[in-house]
Amino acid sequence: MIRFEHVNFSYDANPNEKILSDVSLEIAGGECVLFTGGSGCGKSTLLRLLNGLIPEFYEGTLSGRITVLGKDISQNGIYDLVGKIGTVFQNPRAQFFNVDTTSELAFGCENLAMPEAEILARIDMTVVDFHIEKLMNRDIFKLSGGEKQKIACASIDVLRPDIILLDEPAANMDYESTSDLRQLIQIWKQEGKTILIAEHRINYVWDIADRVIILDRGMITKNICKNEKNTFTDMMCQKYCLRSLSSVSVLDMVEKEKQGLSNKTKNMTEANLVTNPKLELTDFQYSYGNTEVICIGNMDITENRITAVVGPNGTGKTTFLECLCGVRKNIGKLKFHGKDYDSKARLKEIFMVMQDPNHQLFTESVLEEVLISMPDEDEDKAREILKELDLSEFEERHPMSLSGGQKQRVALACAIASERKILLLDEPTSGLDLTHMLEVASILKKIKEQGRTIIIVTHDSELIEVCCDEIVKLGETKNLAV
Amino acid sequence: MEKKERNERLNGRDLINIGVYSAIYFVIVMALAMTGLIPILLILLSSTIAILGGIPFMLFLTKVKKPGMIFIMSTIMGILMFVTGMTWMPIPFAMLTGVLAEITYKAGDYKSLKAAVMTCAVFPLWAIGNYLPLFLQREQYFADRTSYGQDYTDAVMRFTPNWMFIVLVVMTFVCGIIGGMIGKKLLAKHFKKAGIA
Amino acid sequence: MQNILRKRGLLKVEGQKSFLDPRTKLLLIFIEAVIVLATAGGERLVVFKAIFTVLPFLLLVTIRKYKTCLIAGGILLTVMCLEYFVFQNVKGMAEAMLVIVITIVTRFLPAYVTGVFVIQTTKVSEFKAAMEKMHIPDEITIPMCVMFRFFPTVKEENESIRAAMKMRGIGFGGKKASKVVEYRLVPMIACSAKIGEELSAAALTRGLGKSRKRTNICKIGFGICDYLIFVLAAITMIYWILGVIMR
Repeated sequence: MIRFEHVNFSYDANPNEKILSDVSLEIAGGECVLFTGGSGCGKSTLLRLLNGLIPEFYEGTLSGRITVLGKDISQNGIYDLVGKIGTVFQNPRAQFFNVDTTSELAFGCENLAMPEAEILARIDMTVVDFHIEKLMNRDIFKLSGGEKQKIACASIDVLRPDIILLDEPAANMDYESTSDLRQLIQIWKQEGKTILIAEHRINYVWDIADRVIILDRGMITKNICKNEKNTFTDMMCQKYCLRSLSSVSVLDMVEKEKQGLSNKTKNMTEANLVTNPKLELTDFQYSYGNTEVICIGNMDITENRITAVVGPNGTGKTTFLECLCGVRKNIGKLKFHGKDYDSKARLKEIFMVMQDPNHQLFTESVLEEVLISMPDEDEDKAREILKELDLSEFEERHPMSLSGGQKQRVALACAIASERKILLLDEPTSGLDLTHMLEVASILKKIKEQGRTIIIVTHDSELIEVCCDEIVKLGETKNLAV
Repeated sequence: MEKKERNERLNGRDLINIGVYSAIYFVIVMALAMTGLIPILLILLSSTIAILGGIPFMLFLTKVKKPGMIFIMSTIMGILMFVTGMTWMPIPFAMLTGVLAEITYKAGDYKSLKAAVMTCAVFPLWAIGNYLPLFLQREQYFADRTSYGQDYTDAVMRFTPNWMFIVLVVMTFVCGIIGGMIGKKLLAKHFKKAGIA
Repeated sequence: MQNILRKRGLLKVEGQKSFLDPRTKLLLIFIEAVIVLATAGGERLVVFKAIFTVLPFLLLVTIRKYKTCLIAGGILLTVMCLEYFVFQNVKGMAEAMLVIVITIVTRFLPAYVTGVFVIQTTKVSEFKAAMEKMHIPDEITIPMCVMFRFFPTVKEENESIRAAMKMRGIGFGGKKASKVVEYRLVPMIACSAKIGEELSAAALTRGLGKSRKRTNICKIGFGICDYLIFVLAAITMIYWILGVIMR
């Protein structure tokens, strides 16, 4: 069904870098193949070659031969593939065209000028198959990231394509949403669709994939068949820079900790021996209109530690951080070093790294970015911080031209430069591969050693495992962190 | 033959680009319109739009390679003005200024930076369409209010003499050049380096 | 078969309709502009002017926007009082200022309120269907749909950036006050443009722009309320034109 023969490819924007080199592979109809590897390994490029976005959207030089559905790709324009190949993209916010969900599902079929009755019948079927009745007729902007991805999958499904491509669909998802996504992929598999998934978070699709292909710098380094999968372990994942095979719900981690089963608890008791001072939150509240989003009677966060804040979707984790750092004004007390801080005072004491680092990069160079974060601008010190975070070579680069992992590091560099004592992070590792996740973790540990308190909102169980000292669940009861 | 048609006709991507940049541009327009509640700033509105709007518009022009895109964006601005209650006059006026802006950028073969700055000066003239009812329908307006006497008429007259229209056009044009220059600077400083332009 | 019908009911794809057709709403905006904003017809149409001044406020009530309705209505009443009681008694600069305030409020506010009503009640898919029914070319319709979809995105980006600036102490009162506009606008434009690129890619793989002909599952049509508005508009127009002829 799909065949690559000695394919080489490089983007016009960067002609010297070979994104794919000498890739040859064949995928049979009905197969489910997982492409994986660290960021920049070429897995997304592989998919773009198939759905026609290369060369029509992304330009580059291609050699070798690719055939899809018995035709050479050079004969297929992007429009010829509509309805035959469907693609689910990474960013849930950027791939819907309509404002309400029902129109979004109809969109592809409307473009193909299908009769209205046919479209409605197809939508009906997809809605039932995917169990998304509750998501119909809703404002897409008010859905969660996981729900948006479900709509994206459904809007592909109504076109009934033979081949389905998924380009890091779970990059920003929590454990619960990935299991939902897994179910949808399973439905497609049962229907006999050919499925190609590019992903570095492999745990949720590992056992449904018929084949796993690992790429590194544009080359296929490993091709794992169905019966070889059992022999592949977490140890080998690390070697290939992949995320862990086992999927752990962060909420379960909290439960385990309560029962004293995890290592974390041990660390914590040791920590408690030193009795670090605490950052105390009392009657911490926030509401949108009449609905109360956050209501915390009492919460202690140990200073000088890394605390993970977890919670199910929609418990206002991001809002919690925004209130904490004072961007959102709210009712409630925060006591730190024996002093009460109101929203305004907190703004000066707390630094927050937002989920999308693009929102907090303002200047024209990385160095400048660090400089404006300092209370007093000092170039030598800024350079030192950049060196420490391995960013020296990017000093003069525009922050927005960096990769996701690099942007995250720049944001952390700014946090260090700000000299503020408390640091908040909102999903700092969403979309990062193993190497970059570990980088972030080690930087956080360094920051902790400088005597700062770090609070992370995350659903990344591996990050919690590697660097967090404590774990707190949000949105449960009033005295949740006792 | 087929190739040529494919190149000249606007494709899906071009149409989406028009929509995206119209949205960014119009958000800025609306933010500035809030300042229009102060009467003096209302008169200056087309000029402030010309300056700040120049920044996204310069970026938009880097995406424009075919005829029609600028004209469509201008028309959309006119339609939006109609929807927000500024009468139908802004629509034909914006179409007219849109054609002028289109010609200006085409003169630079859809790539010259100089032509781009000039286009930034011509494009915001659409905003003057909003003032048209004030100038064109003044007669009617007075007929309506003669019961208030000469003083009232004089007061309105003082604020909207006919030469004001010319002043507005010139002012907007000059501010547009300034906006285009700023846009050009930011294009080199940020957007090109960030890989967006 | 029964099953599908049940689900259809669940979907409400066809059933959900705003009580005015989008085309009627456009007609309303037009009438407001002609009668109230441009005060066409002068004294002769004063009754109609009054009707069309009040109508937008009634529309707001039907969609339960009481607060907006009260505020806008309050402003309008206050200014009208100023016009009838205070205006004759002032001279000079105060008079000039009053002229401007009265002109803007009494003429623009009803039109503005109509705009609020239309924007609040029209779904993008309805708008698209209306544009197609009126044979407006795709080259206008598609960008406008993208635009309506994009306003909330720009708003989201803008709010995130505002929060980030506040957190980092950059603002008119804080650091780098001279560069505030640049720091605010550039990331807002850059982030929105990037999302726009991704949106284009996703829309193209789903066939946007593939064929000249498209279908639309959103059904629009005229109901009783639409015809009432038509009749009212027609009467107004006829009365106005008669007035012009007889003069």
